[in-house]
Amino acid sequence: MKLAIDETRCKGCNLCTKVCPYKIFREGKRPNRRGIVVPELDRPERCTNCRLRNLYGRQLCGVCQLTCPDQAIHWTEEEPYEPHKVAIEY
Amino acid sequence: MSYEDWFRQDRLPHIYCAGCGNGTIINCTLAAVDSMGWTKEETVFVSGIGCSSRAPGYILTDSLHTTHGRALAFATGVKMANPDLHVVVFTGDGDLAAIGGNHFIHACRRNIDLTVVCMNNQIYGMTGGQGSPTTPKGCLSSTTPYGCAEIPFDLCQLATAAGANYVARWTSYHVKELEKAVKVGLETPGFSFIEALVQCPTAFGRRNKFRLVADHVEYLKVHSLLRAKRDRMLENGEHIPEDMFVVGELTRRNRPAMGVKP
Repeated sequence: MKLAIDETRCKGCNLCTKVCPYKIFREGKRPNRRGIVVPELDRPERCTNCRLRNLYGRQLCGVCQLTCPDQAIHWTEEEPYEPHKVAIEY
Repeated sequence: MSYEDWFRQDRLPHIYCAGCGNGTIINCTLAAVDSMGWTKEETVFVSGIGCSSRAPGYILTDSLHTTHGRALAFATGVKMANPDLHVVVFTGDGDLAAIGGNHFIHACRRNIDLTVVCMNNQIYGMTGGQGSPTTPKGCLSSTTPYGCAEIPFDLCQLATAAGANYVARWTSYHVKELEKAVKVGLETPGFSFIEALVQCPTAFGRRNKFRLVADHVEYLKVHSLLRAKRDRMLENGEHIPEDMFVVGELTRRNRPAMGVKP
């Protein structure tokens, strides 16, 4: 799973930066086109739900999604990992 | 299926101010409703007037947006006309405690099978920050510019005294606990009342030294006192500070309920 912030919904209240136990959300630096400073993600692969959602088959933690007053935080399904053959040419 | 499917995606983003806690309460309530396994056809959301009462407009079920304070009266009618429906009422403190106070105590007395989620932001947010019956003592608002001199309503004690079957209070900081409390309220036959204290950065926080949203949430977190801890403190004869409020499940009993299908 992959964590994502919907920039069309976020209003920049920065509540997610307070609740995440891993401190994945950080206050943003520059305003976007609508003039809203959207938080940025700091190494989102650490998120519990990203790592273990498919293994456990249920929602884990999810406090940021419940807390977000603008319903801007969601998880998207990632493409399954495919090993690529790498040809090493000498 | 997750609770995101219950939102009307075409209406989002909603018009609440940045940092308003009402969106959080909608999330928690919908997560609880979703975990009950109800369909959208058999669930009805009812609301009155105010910031909080805009909530059913963003939800993909049948809903009633009614007159000021009369949400519980309309919800009673819906439940009596068709007891198969699951009725959830969103309401605010101005809607429930001020103009709809009489409807509230009589709905508690009749013990109708409703679930009421009260988003208590302690002020009239939509109309410009006038003081409401739940504005804490000493807080500033546009009608109490020298500090509110009145004792605020304790809605949970009112509901308990009037006869509600399930009463709980949480804040917008305690999202998981609130979700569980709403779920217990939905399962309980009879009147269940869940009060959720929310931050209001625009009308309340601006005048009361909570300039940042996080400051107000931190205040709610620090000043909430768990019910078990309150009981322990009372047993030991310790002094409970004036500005603390009790959170947790406050009442759970089994009075005969109205509108429950046998």
